[in-house]
Amino acid sequence: MPELTQSALSSKSGFGRLALLVFFLGPAVVIYAAFSVYPLIATMALASFTTDQAGAYHFAGIDNFILLLTDKDWRGPFWNALGNNVLFFIIHMLVQNPIGIAIAGLLSLPALKFRATYRTLIFMPTMLSVVIIGFAWNLILSPLWGVSEGFLKFFGLGSLFQPWLGLEGSALITIGLISVWQFVGIPLMLIYAALLNIPEELVDAARIDGLSHLRIFFHVKLPLIMPTIGLVSILTFVGNFNAFDLVYAIKGALAGPNFSTDLLGTFFYRTFFGNQLQLGSPTMGATVATAMFLIILMGVCVYLFLVQRRLERHSF
Amino acid sequence: MARLNLDQVSKSFGTAEILKAVSLSIEDGEFVVLVGPSGCGKSTLLRLIAGLDPMTSGTLQIGDRVVNDLAPAERKIAMVFQSYALYPHRNVRDNMTFGLKFSGMKKDEIDRRVAEATRMLQLGELLERKPRDLSGGQRQRVAIGRAIVREPDVFLFDEPLSNLDAALRVSTRVEIARLHAMLRATMIYVTHDQTEAMTLADRIVVMNKGRIEQVGAPLDLYFTPANLFVAGFIGSPGMNLFSAHLTQAAETLTATTGFGYALPVKGATLASAASVTIGIRPEHVLFGETPYQAFSARVDLVERLGEISYLYCATVNGTPLIAEWRGRHTPSVGDTVKLSADPGTIHMFGADGTRVPDAVR
Repeated sequence: MPELTQSALSSKSGFGRLALLVFFLGPAVVIYAAFSVYPLIATMALASFTTDQAGAYHFAGIDNFILLLTDKDWRGPFWNALGNNVLFFIIHMLVQNPIGIAIAGLLSLPALKFRATYRTLIFMPTMLSVVIIGFAWNLILSPLWGVSEGFLKFFGLGSLFQPWLGLEGSALITIGLISVWQFVGIPLMLIYAALLNIPEELVDAARIDGLSHLRIFFHVKLPLIMPTIGLVSILTFVGNFNAFDLVYAIKGALAGPNFSTDLLGTFFYRTFFGNQLQLGSPTMGATVATAMFLIILMGVCVYLFLVQRRLERHSF
Repeated sequence: MARLNLDQVSKSFGTAEILKAVSLSIEDGEFVVLVGPSGCGKSTLLRLIAGLDPMTSGTLQIGDRVVNDLAPAERKIAMVFQSYALYPHRNVRDNMTFGLKFSGMKKDEIDRRVAEATRMLQLGELLERKPRDLSGGQRQRVAIGRAIVREPDVFLFDEPLSNLDAALRVSTRVEIARLHAMLRATMIYVTHDQTEAMTLADRIVVMNKGRIEQVGAPLDLYFTPANLFVAGFIGSPGMNLFSAHLTQAAETLTATTGFGYALPVKGATLASAASVTIGIRPEHVLFGETPYQAFSARVDLVERLGEISYLYCATVNGTPLIAEWRGRHTPSVGDTVKLSADPGTIHMFGADGTRVPDAVR
């Protein structure tokens, strides 16, 4: 076999070499181009057109983006959705990932029993349909027939109950926490796998050095799983800035109350497809989609070029 | 510096009994090597001494303290692992000072200890490097340095040379011996390599299936193995073992093997018709005419090592044995050789596998 590969690649015949490249790379290039590159470019292209009353398309350059960022009817909802999205991301970073890390740390304790059961239970919501999750939490938190009010009363905390999903101040945070509940299994699994990768002898050495389990976690294990935490963060970022389904399932496309749960995803949906009194606009929709793409691209670039390079990967 | 005393120490994982009532006393400053086949419980015993695993029953004393319920760091021990177990995210200096810093030790004291370990192990240029930039031998030296700065009463080594290549293994072995001479600390060393055991140990503890088979100085184990297990385990290639049975004819008791090798036997503990095992080390096999009882064997294979060669032979009934040949002109494959041994070098073991002292006349 080595002789064959060698001779095929170094053969003088340019045609043979080309045929080989096409054979091996062709299918991947075609599929990637057709289903990823083309839609992306088409979306960006569409964002540079506008439609007139008759429905004809005219080239508009970056006018749509200027409209989105400066027009009084567009810029308010856009910045609102972006701001909400940032808050949504911060909630995940502050709640979901630390909880995921903590549970992974507990799961990796050698004395723990029923490990697989806990893991399955915590991962379960991630596998549920988002429609079911939205519906279930709508019922749980409903002030009319939800169980949460009775539940709080049982512990004597009934006075704390509020219709959280219906209040402008708390709706987004509530949906954020529901999303955390749904997705906490993913950082948990990734970090648990990374923790299992740390050799037992290293922990033994730290114990002989006199470190408590807590210190071993913070001073030995945590620094060693930083690359995984970085990966989890960027996955969270991409997932959050593409989020749409949970808000749509719980609050509908209007992302109420008063757009307080509006994310870029729901904003895009209303812009592209239209909603109630708003007419759908493919070109403005494509503009919002392109803006979302650029925001995520910037975030990923910051991670790749500024953060990831500083993370050391350790082999054991 | 401290004595170490194990009294009836047992360890079970579920229903599996890994260590069965092990008792052992280790003197202050002694170098003790635990040796045995894999799964014999030697590493488990070391982990119990370190406090990494709790014992099921028994008492462990280090110095004059019972340390059963003390955490590893409170036992005044240090451990060197097979995989080095250096903190990959810390440089060499931090690896050595990591535990000391958390124990709240003063900086001057830490610096003094690091300087001393650095000098002892010649780690000077490595202090600022990360473990991944070090070779295997350097990593093991850092791991030993991390143990030294703890200034422990007892050093524990868990197969520390197994991950090194052959040349480094020899030089690091010498370094550990030198270190022991310098520090005069109690050291307990686990290995499956009997060369390491023989060269390093003041005393060797041979373990098998969770029990101690024999404790003794290296040469005592070699010349007077207490039982068949130790006889077969110490020495390479292993001792040739032949089963034989005893017959009484007139005044003399004779042990006869299946291939007709007959040895006159003395010893009040032996009775006629008992079965015994005769043991002869390859290096004690003699060739040709000797004043001793002899038997013949055919050479099946010759392994030439230079100074010596090993002849893999088969006796007339096919019993295999290995004989060591010194010199150049070895017999060839297919030759029949006449073999014997000085009774003083022949070992005899009773039916229960224990040594029968001075049995061969």
